[in-house]
Amino acid sequence: MRNFVEKTGRETIYYVEHAGMMTIFLCSCLIRIFTRPFQLRAIIKQLHFIGAKSVFIIIVAGSFTGMVLGLQGYYVLQRFGSLDMIGSAVALSLIRELGPVLAALMVVGRAGSAICAEIGIMRTTEQIDALECMGIHPYKYLMVPKFIAAIISLPLLTCLFDVMGILGGYFAAVVLFGVNEGSYFQGMYSSVVWADIEMGLIKSFVFGLIIVWVATAKGFFLHLDRSGAFGAEGVSRITTKAVVLSSVAILGSDYLISAILL
Amino acid sequence: MEEHNQKTVIKVKELVTHYGSRKILDGVNLDVKKNEIMVIMGGSGSGKSTLLRHVLGLNSATSGSIEILGTEITTANQKKLYQLRRNMGVAFQGGALFGSMTVGENVELPLREHTNLDEKTMRIMVRMKLEVMNLAGVEALMPSELSGGMVKRAALARAVIMDPTLLFFDEPSAGLDPVVSAELDELIILLRNAMNMTIVVVTHELESAFKIADRITILDEGKIIITDTVENIRNSNLTQVQDMLNRRPRQKELDTEAYLDRLTGDRLQ
Amino acid sequence: MKCEISTRGIYTVIALQGEVDLHYSPQAREPILTCLKKKQNVLVDLSAVTYIDSSGVASLVEGYQEAKSSGVKFGLVGVSKAALQVLQLARLDKVFSIYDSVENLLAN
Repeated sequence: MRNFVEKTGRETIYYVEHAGMMTIFLCSCLIRIFTRPFQLRAIIKQLHFIGAKSVFIIIVAGSFTGMVLGLQGYYVLQRFGSLDMIGSAVALSLIRELGPVLAALMVVGRAGSAICAEIGIMRTTEQIDALECMGIHPYKYLMVPKFIAAIISLPLLTCLFDVMGILGGYFAAVVLFGVNEGSYFQGMYSSVVWADIEMGLIKSFVFGLIIVWVATAKGFFLHLDRSGAFGAEGVSRITTKAVVLSSVAILGSDYLISAILL
Repeated sequence: MEEHNQKTVIKVKELVTHYGSRKILDGVNLDVKKNEIMVIMGGSGSGKSTLLRHVLGLNSATSGSIEILGTEITTANQKKLYQLRRNMGVAFQGGALFGSMTVGENVELPLREHTNLDEKTMRIMVRMKLEVMNLAGVEALMPSELSGGMVKRAALARAVIMDPTLLFFDEPSAGLDPVVSAELDELIILLRNAMNMTIVVVTHELESAFKIADRITILDEGKIIITDTVENIRNSNLTQVQDMLNRRPRQKELDTEAYLDRLTGDRLQ
Repeated sequence: MKCEISTRGIYTVIALQGEVDLHYSPQAREPILTCLKKKQNVLVDLSAVTYIDSSGVASLVEGYQEAKSSGVKFGLVGVSKAALQVLQLARLDKVFSIYDSVENLLAN
């Protein structure tokens, strides 16, 4: 019994401490976004890595998601005889929910894990210590460009995902099942309002922040992780944790944002 | 070298530090004087690397003080610490070169971040340092394409690119063959003589330590056993020092009770 | 750091004073390159230099290269022991033309 209480206490302290550390990390990084110098070159490099290199996977994922929506939507709506709703069903579910969430999950898998591993390796090979010893602040030099790049590219990738999804839905519903083309797009025009798009953009912005935050912080604090692992094993462990944590955080915050905005 | 009347540039006083509940450093006192090469020696786990990390301001201590170039770093704010670090060059054990940049960009990084020098001046400076380190022509290579000895020399080039007054070198000879490590020793002496640096080297290599050091500090289990000139260390009567010089394994009195306890006792104590 | 420019015979003498470090070496580099671009023979007087770091030496190297390409003379005078050590470290003492004083150079 005493053991149980002790363990619970230790766990709680660990998590509170860890959460505090992560929050301070986030705040320090965000403040440093607005301090000079603005590392344009580094930001462009990160935009290329997080944004441009994710375009292909977003196109593929977006198209298939849209096609599935078109397919499922067709069979479900056919039952109720409301096939003219299919355009708006596809567009609304993409713009409000699936676009931001799935695009973010794609980026977690592609860029988040890579960022976490990169920072983690820099930690284990003393590169972060070296930066500090050169008088270069690692938050400013390493993290800030990644934060800016993610905040910019996530909304853009989400928009791309939405567009590809709508085209995918068009392909499934109109081309394959012969739904009337006019009704597919007309439904969209009449049902999608600015608030829907706004919600999608806010979500993608927040998701972008979460992805980089979790990835960079997990990598940066690798040496403080409770598992005590270091070296290659530590990096792999921490990367797994970062991917799981940011995926869960994306889904959780998705619900929160939806609840607040609705 | 005159040992008297020299300015102390690093002053460590009663430094105590823990890792968890384990005591790593136990009341360390150390003075490093201007323009000397101080070698910190000790076996694995003696706390020598930890001591270095504290002096660099990378770890924070349980108690004690560390003064570098007149600045108390245990209480200094971040800005002051970063300012101070521009006078300090550090070459890490594994080199710690950034894998995404070429060797040239690595060496150039501190200049790019801290100065407003012309591109051309920076390029010449980088090449000059690489020449000094016998690394001519590797500027455009990536760190992954270098050999172990080259990585250390490139790291050294990066550490001295700002012409620091203080240079720290962690394990220069670790993982290198004797010839390459002898070259590094030469370089360390050369840098001290030509650039008036104060150099702190952490190593476990006896030969290299005797070759380069003005003074040697020997650490064992978090305590300093002796800090003295090379000559005096050789002639020291302390058994621990002699054990180390003669590469004798540490002899410890066997406490049979405690030993039996360790063998048979519960795993979780 | 201060920098004085005078003309002695066929040479433009640029006398540097004080510390030529990372902060001030651009102020030494600029007049040296300007004079060389005007096709003047340049002597850099280092006798009043208390400290020169590698950025200062790099500026001199730049000057030397500029002089070579525009076919004018470039030399160093009054190189102190400390400055010479910095040059020797990069084996540049063998590259530069080093004279002990302007007077001796003009006399020959």
